Amino acid sequence: MKNTNVINDSNNLPTSSLSRRQFITMTGASLALLSFPMSSAFALEEKKQVGNQAGKPKIVWVLLRGALDSLHTIVPTFDQQYKTLRPKLSSSFKSPLLPLEKGFALHPSLKNLHQWYQEKSLIPVVAVSSGYPKRSHFDGQDYLESGKGEIDHDSGWLARAIEVKNKRALAVSRSTPISLRSSDQVNTWYPSNLKDADEDIYAALDKLYQNDESLRASLESGLEVRGLVGDKKGKKKKRQGKFINLTKACAQLMVGEQGVDCAMLELGGWDTHNNQGSRLNNNLAELDNGLVELKSGLGEEWQNTVVIIGTEFGRTAKENGTGGTDHGTGSALFLAGGAVNGGKVQGSWPGLKTEQLFQQRDLMPTTNSFSWIGNVLSQHWQFTEQELKQVFPHVKPYNQVLLRS
Amino acid sequence: MFENSMSSTIISRANIAVNRFGYGARGDELAQAEKDPRQWLESQLKPITFNGDFPHSNTILIEHAKYQKDKKRQKKQQKKNSQSGNMKDQKKPRNFSRLALRNMSADTLNQAIASSNSVSWRLLDFFSNHFSVTAHGRLMVGLAATLEREAISRHLLGNFEDMLLSVEQHPAMLIYLNNEKSFGPNSRMAKKRNKGLNENLAREILELHTLGDDGGYSQDDVIELAKGITGWSVKRSGKERGEGFVFRAYGHEPGTRMLLSKTYGQKGIAQGEQMLRDLAMHPATAKHVCYKLAHHFVGQNPSASLLKEMQATWLKNQGNIKAVMHCLFDAEEAWPNTAQKYKAPREFVISTLRALSLKKFKDKALLATLINLGQQPFNAGSPAGYSDDEQDWLGASAMMARIDWSTMVSGYSKRVNAEKVMNLALGKSVSQLTYNSVMRAESRQQALTLLLMSPEFQRR
Repeated sequence: MKNTNVINDSNNLPTSSLSRRQFITMTGASLALLSFPMSSAFALEEKKQVGNQAGKPKIVWVLLRGALDSLHTIVPTFDQQYKTLRPKLSSSFKSPLLPLEKGFALHPSLKNLHQWYQEKSLIPVVAVSSGYPKRSHFDGQDYLESGKGEIDHDSGWLARAIEVKNKRALAVSRSTPISLRSSDQVNTWYPSNLKDADEDIYAALDKLYQNDESLRASLESGLEVRGLVGDKKGKKKKRQGKFINLTKACAQLMVGEQGVDCAMLELGGWDTHNNQGSRLNNNLAELDNGLVELKSGLGEEWQNTVVIIGTEFGRTAKENGTGGTDHGTGSALFLAGGAVNGGKVQGSWPGLKTEQLFQQRDLMPTTNSFSWIGNVLSQHWQFTEQELKQVFPHVKPYNQVLLRS
Repeated sequence: MFENSMSSTIISRANIAVNRFGYGARGDELAQAEKDPRQWLESQLKPITFNGDFPHSNTILIEHAKYQKDKKRQKKQQKKNSQSGNMKDQKKPRNFSRLALRNMSADTLNQAIASSNSVSWRLLDFFSNHFSVTAHGRLMVGLAATLEREAISRHLLGNFEDMLLSVEQHPAMLIYLNNEKSFGPNSRMAKKRNKGLNENLAREILELHTLGDDGGYSQDDVIELAKGITGWSVKRSGKERGEGFVFRAYGHEPGTRMLLSKTYGQKGIAQGEQMLRDLAMHPATAKHVCYKLAHHFVGQNPSASLLKEMQATWLKNQGNIKAVMHCLFDAEEAWPNTAQKYKAPREFVISTLRALSLKKFKDKALLATLINLGQQPFNAGSPAGYSDDEQDWLGASAMMARIDWSTMVSGYSKRVNAEKVMNLALGKSVSQLTYNSVMRAESRQQALTLLLMSPEFQRR
């Protein structure tokens, strides 16, 4: 674990990151073009490509921080154990589940993803894992972002991928996430007009202030002022997620001649130890709506795009005593986009019987996330086996056909 | 078991030294203070010097005079142009003042953030707020930030009377409280030009800078002090030779004054100076300023015995600020082992950036943050300065602004290890609840946000 020093990262602060990266400041309303530190040869090659092809293959990497409960997202309705393990959660859905093949079904909030599935541009992959063997969010995320089979805070798999293929990437973030570290073809962008804090922070603070009356009183009246909790009349403003703003801006920065080849988005709020039913109703809807905005913003480029959606690990198969689930192991991965040859569920189902669970508590991972992503890189960005070793040194890609040819 | 109160977490003496008296640990300061917190505090009191990279108040006075001249000329030109139909745009005169204010305000913040003597910077900010000037109007915009640099900092560890005199004779204070045009009713000046007395500065000296509003002075005392400092003025750049403070003898009220039952027969500038020196050593001043110091550094309700001790030290040592601070450090009442006070925005921002060991925050972003959080430098809007009562900073929207800012800073600090920051900033003085919340946060960004917004980091 090197280079965790704060001082070394001061370049990522507002002081200098934008100018150093020759980055044009943009506000959400008016997005200017990105300018990259390109060599002239690179620029020429780029022009030629643009002239010859309708569009270049694009990748969007969406990291769900906090560990998405895959069993509540891609529900194994056929598995007898499911309702036994989750009596409350299994009956918390407000509308009917959205059917997939093999008896799986999507959470009802994911109605757009379900439509993509029907249009064959979505592949849900069940029971995956990065290979990270423990249950810490920080380490799990770092591991998934590094992609090396160990944690390296200075190098991420997506950064290594764009280095191999001489591509350019954008992190929709205030500072570079590990996934995109170690390449100088990466820029960061984040709307300056967006309030950062979200409901998860507020909920966590509310808990943190449980013994501090005055801080708690300030927080609660602050939330009331912002319309985030019911006021005296019980009114609550409709949840306005910020993810949709980020995907919209992200799409704009990916289209056009200067558009980047790939982008990374992050979305938190998945650490649902309690009240999971209603939290995931909201969070999955925010994810779903955001992705729709990404698609519409990408326009024709959607046909050349693969969106990879992953999370650091899964959650316990059994629901806990507070209407939620705790840190687990096996989770899910989604591949979406016009370039995807979808409409089927991938991965192999390990079963939910106690002896089938990992350490008798978590969904057993049966496939490796990086092997699926490696598959996307070889089919979408024409990575050779040798090149792929530079990105994921320890895994081999699966050879299912995941993309349209 | 937690008590159901704000102050349940027991904090170590090192934590108290670093966070209650300073701007929070930078690097391993907490460990340094661990050995001997009291000794560490004493070693923190070092003189503050400002370098010459920023304009002196004299330069600002010159630039301001130039600006006014340019403006006058421009107005004339415009009048001419509009008469002749020539509407050519004129170049606007440069706003020297605003730039000076921004650069100097940010420099003070950045120095406090980077300093290894943050206790001294807390003390400077305390007196800068005690002698608060507000940047309203072009001239004050330029001058406001020079007061702490030129008049306050050099007497920071010296005697209060010297600081008081320096402040009341500084152009920023004289102009802010209108003394530069206050003339004795019986002075030659008044007879010739029909100018008179302005009580503003004298009143605030008594009410805010020295005795305090319950300090036992009367309206007559206000007038007597005002007369005593008549003629304390500022040279008009361009019209007079030189810049800065000037004593206009022909504007000084002649005669003997009576302030707080004491007679002042001195002539000229010496009269007002003696009045201020006596005020500085008045027991009511000792009481007023010692209360403010204890209320600032320790907590909302400093104990009577602590105040008594500090006042005695003040009176015994010529109002020596260093001696009074040592007395504060020595008093057991200054070290209650639970948090005593919610940080004001300035303290919160500086301590956050120190905890993250940031070298430099962009000036504009730093000042925008303080505006957002409600404590823009040199903008208290009243000579009483910003409130030092925690209730005034605990408002709902102020809280939301802090959360937003903490989340933003954490977003910029993806490489930061929140556990490490927690250890460096708070040591072991963290509740199980806070520790768990930080360690079990769903992402590194959220972990850092929770740490910064935790009761242990928000209070001291």
